[in-house]
Amino acid sequence: MRDEPYRWIEAIQDRRDYIEDQLRVGSPVVGLTYDDGMVLLTIGRGQRKIFEVHDRIALSAIGHPADIERLRMLVTDTASVQGFQNATEDVNLHRLTNFVLAHTFKQAFESIVGEAYIIKMLLAELGSTGDKNRFTCINYDGNVRTDMTSTVIGGTEVIETGMQNYLATASTGSDRDLTAALQLGLEAWAVGRELSSREPEEAESEETQVDTVQMHEIINVAREDGEIEAGVLETTQRGASKFRLLTSQEIETALP
Amino acid sequence: MSDNGNFLNRMRTEHEAFALKEVMNHKGDFLNLLKHTNYPLKIDLPSEKTQHGADIEIAHSTTVVAVRYRDGVMIAGDRRATAGTSVIYDRAEKVLQIDRHSVLAISGSPAIAYEIARILEHSFQYFRRSQLQELSLEGKLRMLSRLIRENLPMALQGIGGVIPIFALYDLNAADDENGGKIFFYDALGAHFENVNFATTGSGSIWIRGVLRYLSRFGDTPLQEMDVRQATVTILRLLDTASEYDAATSGYNARAQIFPNVKTVTRTGVEDIADDELETCYAEAQPDGEAS
Repeated sequence: MRDEPYRWIEAIQDRRDYIEDQLRVGSPVVGLTYDDGMVLLTIGRGQRKIFEVHDRIALSAIGHPADIERLRMLVTDTASVQGFQNATEDVNLHRLTNFVLAHTFKQAFESIVGEAYIIKMLLAELGSTGDKNRFTCINYDGNVRTDMTSTVIGGTEVIETGMQNYLATASTGSDRDLTAALQLGLEAWAVGRELSSREPEEAESEETQVDTVQMHEIINVAREDGEIEAGVLETTQRGASKFRLLTSQEIETALP
Repeated sequence: MSDNGNFLNRMRTEHEAFALKEVMNHKGDFLNLLKHTNYPLKIDLPSEKTQHGADIEIAHSTTVVAVRYRDGVMIAGDRRATAGTSVIYDRAEKVLQIDRHSVLAISGSPAIAYEIARILEHSFQYFRRSQLQELSLEGKLRMLSRLIRENLPMALQGIGGVIPIFALYDLNAADDENGGKIFFYDALGAHFENVNFATTGSGSIWIRGVLRYLSRFGDTPLQEMDVRQATVTILRLLDTASEYDAATSGYNARAQIFPNVKTVTRTGVEDIADDELETCYAEAQPDGEAS
């Protein structure tokens, strides 16, 4: 097929459509910085979605659970071995993304006879002295996007844009506390959920405004058969490992 | 791709191969992962040097001691490192934190002991990160057993023996119960729980009897002491060991070098700070000798 460029491009496009169709209904994930670190937040249905990768790196993803698990193992193994062979300070997100993950994603996506990874991955790195906090999103095709104060992954680009627009208008800067970050994150999640439930054409229209009442309703409905999951990388956490999952009580206090 | 992260570049393809064999029933086994990356865990000596047999005495020039007190375990070690009859270092750290609730006190070959401590630390973290739960207390004990057993050839060569004390806090213990636990290992990796105290290293023979005496006949039994009493007791024990064992250092007042003293309690591992130790040292002196 490779000597027929047109068919190759067509095959890639089919693959893209297939993957995006699978991803569209995935529960979005929001990443935000706050005054004491970074938080990743989503509402899931039982499957854990937020993970610790290394001392200062956390991961979340949407997609097929088996693919998420396999790639999570790859990045966890790599970071663990490198942290042991050199020093834990030598593990960094830039190298994990660019040397290990991005081209694994790309290769799987473009080798059209092999299986594709159905995944969008979000990684957060808590900056050490002198370094900034950093969110990195890796798309199923290996494209990498980096954000500093907030980021989202959602099923489609339209959903992500809608959520990001909401964050841009509602956010009051990165000096919010954890409660404010959780509230903002949940609202952005609700926007994403709403957009993913609409038909693709409808979602793209200008009528993307979701008001506060609607948001809270969406969150409440989602909580009936799901659970809010949030993990933080906290600068004030004792010891080298900065990651922890928030307890349900902590999440409860942030709810409106 | 430029080869600038030795392992990192090879990792992806190797991981694929590894994944097919191992990851599909991933056990969170860090040691296995390290072996797969050809990390040199053992040093192979030429065969003529390895057949010493059982007459090798494991060098363990130090004193480390752990006691169970009211809130958990207190564990301490002197700071001297020796080579033969020479003192080569007076700030050695022999009490190493492994995770939030466990501490390893080492005696024996420092190179191997530090390596074991490091592998242990990374193994617990790796298990938590990959398997999404903490390794159980029993799991942690076995991991250390395995590392010590794997090290047996080095121990028999007379250059790498390590006899540690492992102290943990069992978070499953009831709130009103003391969850502090002390384990002692032999060179083959068998572990034994010591109920009230453990000590190892060349200075330990001088204080084991004292510990037994204190635990059984002391005014305040070890397990009822508060943190201050336990600290004073431990400093006195190390002082006694340093009096009779040349490989154990006492308190160096001029250079302000204190033993390492750590506590393992429900809230985690903590150091007893130097200024606190200084006050306790004054208290530990017999009347009239206080400095």
